[in-house]
Amino acid sequence: MVRKIINLVLLLSCFSVNAQKYLAKDGVISFFSEAPMEDIKAINNKVSAVYDNDTKQLVFQLDIKDFIFPKALMQDHFNENYLESDLYPKSTFSGEVVSQRLGNTIVEGALKIHGKTTKIKVDGILKKENNIVNISAKFIVKLEDYDIEIPTIVMYKIAEEIEIKVNIELKEIE
Amino acid sequence: MKKLIIFIISFSSFFATAQDDLLNMLDNEHEPKYVSYLFKGTKVVNGQSVELPAKGVLQFNIQHRFGTLNSGLYNLYGLDFSQVRLSFDYGIKDWLAVGVGRSSSLKTIDGNSKITIKRQVKDGFPFTIVANSGVYLKQWQYTEAEKEDFLLTNQLSYVNQILIARKINRNLTLQLSPTIVHYNLVEIKDEANDKYAIGFGARQKLTKRISVNSECFSQLNDKRNNNVLSLGFDIETGGHVFQLHFSNSSAMIDSEFIAQTTGEWLKGDIYFGFNISRVFTLSK
Repeated sequence: MVRKIINLVLLLSCFSVNAQKYLAKDGVISFFSEAPMEDIKAINNKVSAVYDNDTKQLVFQLDIKDFIFPKALMQDHFNENYLESDLYPKSTFSGEVVSQRLGNTIVEGALKIHGKTTKIKVDGILKKENNIVNISAKFIVKLEDYDIEIPTIVMYKIAEEIEIKVNIELKEIE
Repeated sequence: MKKLIIFIISFSSFFATAQDDLLNMLDNEHEPKYVSYLFKGTKVVNGQSVELPAKGVLQFNIQHRFGTLNSGLYNLYGLDFSQVRLSFDYGIKDWLAVGVGRSSSLKTIDGNSKITIKRQVKDGFPFTIVANSGVYLKQWQYTEAEKEDFLLTNQLSYVNQILIARKINRNLTLQLSPTIVHYNLVEIKDEANDKYAIGFGARQKLTKRISVNSECFSQLNDKRNNNVLSLGFDIETGGHVFQLHFSNSSAMIDSEFIAQTTGEWLKGDIYFGFNISRVFTLSK
C-alpha cells in the first residue's frame, strides 16, 4: 500500500511539472563592445524563452541571424565570419535558478554559442507578478571561450569581451 | 521494492530531460532558412553577381584597369595605361538595387537595376535568381551632334540578364547568366543588333576573407569578337572589399566585355585591374 502511494505521489509530481510554465517569443537580448574605430552593438528582439516555476528551470533560444546591427556590413561579417550562422544558426542557454533573494536571482547553466558550450553563472533579476515573469540580466562573455576568432587585420578592432544584456517578459502558459 | 527503484530512476531521468523538453517547446518555428552570402561582392569579376547592396546601403566603387601585360617593359607591362570606372550602387529595398557609373576611356555612362526574384532556401528552392537590366549611353561631342544623321538613340545599348546562382557548399558558389545585349547602332550593316550570350561564374573561398572568382561569357550568335574570360581574387578587409583581376577585356561594362572583347589570353592580351568598394550606411 505504501509503495502504491509513493508511486502515485511520484507520478502526480511528474504531471505537476507542466503546471506553471512561462513562455516568451519576443524577448530582447543585446550586446555591446567598445572598439577604437566604432562601438559594436546589436539587438535581437526575437528571443524565445521558457521558465518553469516548479523546477526553477530556465531556457533561452535565439537565431544568430536575428541580431540587427546598425550597419548591414557589420551584420554580414558577424554572420559569415565570426559566428558562422550557416553552421551554428542558434544560440541557447539552459540552466536553473540556484538562489533567489527578493528580486535578485542567480542562474547557473550551459550557454551555447558558435557550437561551443560553457558553464556560466549569471546574477540577475527575476520577478514574478500575477501571471508574468520579468527577467533581466547583464553579463560578460569572452570570445575565446566560444572559439570566435578575431583576425589581426580588420577595420573594426573587436574587444575580447562582450557585454550581453537580457530583457525578457514571459507570460504564463494557459 | 524493485518497482519503487525503477520508478525513482524513471522519475529522475524525466528530470534530466526536463530542460531539453523546455528547449523543444521553443523549436516549433518553420521559417524558410534563406542561404546568404553567395558572393562577397555585387560583381563576380566584371559581370553582376546575385548579391545586392543591403537596404539603405550606398556602395561606392572605384574600378581600375591597366594596359595589357604583353605591352613590354617600356610601358611597365601595362601599368602606364589606365582607365577607370566610378560607380555608385544603392539598395532601395533588400530585393531592389540601382546603380550608376561612368567609364573613362569608353566615355560611357551606365545605369542598372537589379531585382531579386527568388532566393535559395536551405533544403528548399535550389537557386537564387536575380534579374539585372542595364542601359548604356555613349557620350558625344558637340561637333558630332551637329551632324545631320546624329540620333541620340544611336548612342544607346542595353543589357538584360537573368542571374541564376547556387551555393553548392560553404565555399563554392556557381552562377549561370543568360544574357541579351542590344545595340541600337552596330558597326556594319549585316551585324545583328541583338547578341545572345551565356555567362558562367564561380566563387571558391580560399580562407574566410579571401576567395578566387572566375567568369566567362560565351557568345551564342553572330560572334565577331572573342569571348571574355576573367579571373579574380576578392579580399575582404572589414570596411571594404578589394578585388584583383586578370581579364582579356579592359572594359568594365557588360555591353562592351560580353560582345566587344578583342584581347586573347594566349597572346598575352591580359589586363590587370582592381576594384575597391566602400559602403556607407545611409538609412536603416
